[in-house]
Amino acid sequence: MKFLKVRCLLIVSMAVLFVTLAPPSSCLAIGNEECMECHSDDSLSRVESEGMKVELYINQARFEVSVHNANDVACVDCHSDIEELNFDNEVPHAVSLAVVNCDKCHEAEAEAYIDSVHKKAGGKGITIPCYACHGYHYVSHLESESVLERENGFCLKCHNPNKFHEWLPQMDTHFAFVECTVCHAPEVPRYVNIRFQDLKTNKFLSGEEFLAVLGTDSDGFMALVDEDKNEIIDVNEFEDLVFLLLEKDVRGTFHGEIVVAIEPIVHHVNRGVANRACEMCHMPTSPFFENVRFSLSREDGTSQNYVVERKVLETYYMNHFYALGGTRIRLLDQIGLALVVGGAGIIIAHLTLRILTIPARKQRKQKSPFEQEQDGGEK
Amino acid sequence: MKASSELIYIHPGPVRVWHWVNALGIVLLVLTGLQIRFAEILDFFTLEEAIKVHNYVGFIVIANYGLWVAYYFGTGKIKIYFPDIKTFLPNVIKQMKYYGGGIFKGDPNPHVMTPDNKFNALQQKAYLGLMFIFLPAQMITGVLLWRVKEYEQYINMLGGIKIVDTVHVLLFFFFGVFLFVHSYLATLGHTPTAHFKAMFTGYEEHH
Repeated sequence: MKFLKVRCLLIVSMAVLFVTLAPPSSCLAIGNEECMECHSDDSLSRVESEGMKVELYINQARFEVSVHNANDVACVDCHSDIEELNFDNEVPHAVSLAVVNCDKCHEAEAEAYIDSVHKKAGGKGITIPCYACHGYHYVSHLESESVLERENGFCLKCHNPNKFHEWLPQMDTHFAFVECTVCHAPEVPRYVNIRFQDLKTNKFLSGEEFLAVLGTDSDGFMALVDEDKNEIIDVNEFEDLVFLLLEKDVRGTFHGEIVVAIEPIVHHVNRGVANRACEMCHMPTSPFFENVRFSLSREDGTSQNYVVERKVLETYYMNHFYALGGTRIRLLDQIGLALVVGGAGIIIAHLTLRILTIPARKQRKQKSPFEQEQDGGEK
Repeated sequence: MKASSELIYIHPGPVRVWHWVNALGIVLLVLTGLQIRFAEILDFFTLEEAIKVHNYVGFIVIANYGLWVAYYFGTGKIKIYFPDIKTFLPNVIKQMKYYGGGIFKGDPNPHVMTPDNKFNALQQKAYLGLMFIFLPAQMITGVLLWRVKEYEQYINMLGGIKIVDTVHVLLFFFFGVFLFVHSYLATLGHTPTAHFKAMFTGYEEHH
């Protein structure tokens, strides 16, 4: 009897231990490999009742480099209504899956999106889910310094900016150098991103290529450039960087673009809040040029950024980036002032002398009428 | 008008039209240019208005320059802008002596204006640079800055937008100062308003 009691206790203890140490349910759930057994077939598709063909193929290689895969997000973490697969049936899971709820993980983004123009469009019978912009399975980092890449990746998928910006002087220039959200989501922090363009190949150097030229890596870059160790590349250090590149026989130009920070709040794009006053940007006091970064892109779509002193934008090292008012060369204003003061000074001095010498000229006229006659005759 | 004076037709109609359109244009370009460059200090116009006016007026001044070119080259009068190399240097010295000294003593102006010899040596030198170098350079850089993206290739050929802008801004200061200096020099006729009147009537008074 006593033996039976001990055996029962042992069985119960082991059962408790098994339940306690068992992995969470998600780990027991279906793995990506099982999904890919069917979804790696590029002919997999389904015809909906309306006759529309829906592709069900997932490109494994592209999925693997996606930001979700990098963070170990499994298929069923998003498609959470799939609880089991029944391989005995023709279709292993329900044909119509529930709409994927991105808010579950991306709370801050979802919050910023609630009051955005894109969410509000839902009231007009349009639904703009996250994946309308971000895509389905191949969501990747987009910290690109290129405004065009950023816009092509998102805004320009649906919007034709040429329709609504006729009022904007130099429309093309704005579109080429300023990301849409810089104006359309004014509360988002923004940066001037500087990239290096090789003039020999006429291409922007990737971070890796740029560091290879300098013979360093991302850890050694600031040690090489930031001489005063204040974590900011100031004008003198920027100048030294230019000379360092010249020593390496690399001739290029620094190219700037204004982009927003990739933060959840960037989803708060709204109607009527876009910045339209030119003065907001085109002034030396504009906050648009306060945060300047030198960007070195990484292969995974992220980038390493280094803080650059704003004054660099006001130098000839940035010959190919000029924002009216905001990045003007101050030295020219001093030259202008000297010209105005000099010109005015000469005029005032000459005029004063003319006024002071009026009595002398009058006297001369009165004293020598013969000379005056002679002058008249000559003319 | 004094009995001893003689009226000579110096400034033909097209030249007067060109001159005053150009004058008004340059004044507006300088004012809007100041507003554009110093938006944080000045408040004559909004930046949007200033840029619009600057662009429109810029093209009017360019078209007006076309009128000047057509008139002066078409009539052959362009030669009044080119000094005689043999007499140029002595005439410059004479003219400088007059402006720097003779004018205060009441000496006569060494240069006597005629329709074929309108400008004194200093004016010839100044206007030659102004009409053939400075104004065209300002117009070209202005057009390039008007469409930065469209003319990117030419801007890059010139060394980048900051170089093009620097030329435009330095010339803008030059033209700003020129307006004052030119207006002041125009008061150095036999009366302070004589040259101004002539630029409306076409007739200069000779004594």
